[in-house]
Amino acid sequence: MMDALSYLFASWLQPELLALTAVGTAAGIYIGAIPGLSVTMAVSILISFTFGWEVNHALALMNGIFMGGVYGGSRTAILLNIPGAPAAIATALDGYPMARKGEAGNAIGLSTVMSFFGGFVGIIVLAAGAPVVSEFAILFQPRDYMLLAVMGILLVGSLSGESLAKGIFAGALGMLLGTVGLDPMTAEQRFTFGSVELMNGISAVALMIGLFGVSEALLQLHNLHLAAVKQKVDKIIPSFSDLKKYLPLSLQTSAIGVIIGALPGTGGDIAALMAYDHAKRVTKDPEVPFGQGAKEGLVAPESANNAAVGGAYIPMLTLGIPGDAVTAVIIGALFIHGLNPGPLLLIEKPDMFWFTVGNLTLANIFLLIFGLTGIRIFTKIIECPKGVLFPLILLLSVVGAYSINNSLSDVWWMLGFGVLGYFMKLYGYQVGPVVLGIILSRLMDDNWRRAIISEQESLPAFFYGMITSPLSAVLFLAIVLILLSQTPVWKAIKMHASPRLGRG
Amino acid sequence: MLGKLMGAVAALALFVGSASAADYPEQDIQGIIQWGAGGSTDLVMRSVAPHAEKVLGRSIVMINKTGGVGAIATQFVASQPSDGYTLLMSAENPQLYKVMGLSNLDYADFYPVNVLARGVPVLVANNDAPFNTIKELVEYVQANPGKVKMGSTGPGGLPSVVGGMLSTQLDFKVTAVPFDGDGPALTAMQGGAVDFMPAVLGAAAEHVKAGRIKILGVFDLEASPVLPDAKPIVADYPEFKKLLPWGPFFGVFVKRDTPDEIKAKLVEAFKTGAEAPEFQKLLDDRGYVSLNISGDEADAFLKKWQSTTAWVVYDAGIAKKSPEEFGIAKP
Repeated sequence: MMDALSYLFASWLQPELLALTAVGTAAGIYIGAIPGLSVTMAVSILISFTFGWEVNHALALMNGIFMGGVYGGSRTAILLNIPGAPAAIATALDGYPMARKGEAGNAIGLSTVMSFFGGFVGIIVLAAGAPVVSEFAILFQPRDYMLLAVMGILLVGSLSGESLAKGIFAGALGMLLGTVGLDPMTAEQRFTFGSVELMNGISAVALMIGLFGVSEALLQLHNLHLAAVKQKVDKIIPSFSDLKKYLPLSLQTSAIGVIIGALPGTGGDIAALMAYDHAKRVTKDPEVPFGQGAKEGLVAPESANNAAVGGAYIPMLTLGIPGDAVTAVIIGALFIHGLNPGPLLLIEKPDMFWFTVGNLTLANIFLLIFGLTGIRIFTKIIECPKGVLFPLILLLSVVGAYSINNSLSDVWWMLGFGVLGYFMKLYGYQVGPVVLGIILSRLMDDNWRRAIISEQESLPAFFYGMITSPLSAVLFLAIVLILLSQTPVWKAIKMHASPRLGRG
Repeated sequence: MLGKLMGAVAALALFVGSASAADYPEQDIQGIIQWGAGGSTDLVMRSVAPHAEKVLGRSIVMINKTGGVGAIATQFVASQPSDGYTLLMSAENPQLYKVMGLSNLDYADFYPVNVLARGVPVLVANNDAPFNTIKELVEYVQANPGKVKMGSTGPGGLPSVVGGMLSTQLDFKVTAVPFDGDGPALTAMQGGAVDFMPAVLGAAAEHVKAGRIKILGVFDLEASPVLPDAKPIVADYPEFKKLLPWGPFFGVFVKRDTPDEIKAKLVEAFKTGAEAPEFQKLLDDRGYVSLNISGDEADAFLKKWQSTTAWVVYDAGIAKKSPEEFGIAKP
């Protein structure tokens, strides 16, 4: 026990480790904030860079970048409506409207505290329940992932704004775009028209940068005559009463984040979107409607995506199975440093586990410190003249799109989607469902086919399995309930059950 | 006069050309990794490159360019100048592009700077599966054709080739369920989504040692020092001797028409890099067989690999085109 404690605090007490964690977290925030620069990319570059270092030093830097990077995506999402990473898409939905009302400082402050809180929940679950959670995560079969994807598709209802029909259209467009490229099952080419560049499909990140960032810059050209909104910077650190109010929601969405993060097939992006949907369902009457700057819409995804960090480490440290793309790279780093990450790591090197828990906690604290300082300067970004701001957004978008895969074709895609997004917004279509569609398309496509191939292509066997497996049955029921709760049928039942309440 | 001038220009060009080859490398070198960050190709390349950098005296800037089973990276390197500043860091996949209809390129278009190592395939199974050896697996599959679920990574991947070898040599009919890579497939197997799968030893070893999955046997001529108790397949089925040893491999390549001097420098650098004790330890730990071959020796290896594998995938009905179309000889 004493040993475990000493490893837990190793990175707190050794000055170099402390410094590396701080540097990593600070760098992570900026890497995360720039769209196209991803944590996965940064960590894999660090593998060669930290080749000759001691493993704990390398890990301290990587843990910091991971923690900071997941949070950093919210910065540009709130300030410029360009999510720094897919995990920050949901943050943009209510964060950017807040910034346009002059509450950017408040929004960043709240998202920082909630990221810290979510991150902390993730770490606690990692420390206390890692073996249990990882055994649970492994039970998910292709059929269950498919059901998760279906549940995700239902989010279209939350993301479509005024018109559900337009939302469904946008979501379907996203799913269609997601099918472009080599079929992952058969390597058959789909919608590639023989082009090698299209074999890898259309990058979801390029699409996201275009639809969110570039289209917004184009749209703002309509308002060039309006002066930039003055940002209020007096209320940056959220009030205690606010924190108390959002604590239950943050706890619930952190739980969603940990579980989705721990599942080997899903990560922070899906966790954040599901959390947003959850917030929309459980918040009876928000002060401000969702989509127009509801604080609940900020609390939920930010808690969830940082909770997913702790979640992703769970199967990695207990079973040697990455919980997401970043932990996959960290596993590679451990190999290079001569360790054998696998199910035996926890038994042979328990110090590694406790070091990571302690180090992540430290990174999370740095996140809070760095997140809350410098907000004033950041909010100045949106106050700068539009003639400076828009070229800056375009430049950032081009650099971001290029750096995804060092490919110029991603830049063209990004610009194309920027123009498409502009017209979509002009005619009342939301862009959120398109990104949702492209993210979920692979998850749904692959797992539906895996599930049906496993049942030797028998539909009755597939449904029989869905009912008899407890996990699938629960997921299926949840989908039915969500669907019913959003349709008139539910209201009719409710009305019938409690006529007095229903009339109001 | 004009002739003299032309001659001078030509000489100058030759001089400049040879000077640049002699001074190589004058700038940082780009290494294009055809698979994603954290995968086995990425891992091998990122651990050998720092040693090669020391010899070259320049950095190798490594970039993951994924997609199209690696065809996008391969195409990209082929489109760059043949000056040795763009390296292709890749796996076995390009040798099957032609028969799979993915690209017109293969390693005939590239010069093998170093084929670093080869992976050893093993057959592993879910702990609850009703078979414990390769022989029991084969008998069980023959008694229940099509019922057993095999984890796969899509056509052309290791499991599909090993599955193809099993089905062409024995009566072996299973349902292949494709996953995004051997990692996700091994995870799914632990959860019971598939019953068994062929995998590279390094990816499966830790899970076997921890008792989370069981090993049925090694798909090679000899047992492996990493898991010495697992019997090689040839012990029960000698007909596999003609196909083995077979396995995925990793290599560093430049375009075939790169100047010889540059090729020689790169060969030297990566040979030294591959001999580094740290790199050798990494290979041992992950159960890879070190090859460290280049030039003609590597070309012979690549050719044999292509001929064996292309015909297996064609005979198993996985390939789109016949190897014959591309002049790939039958083994």
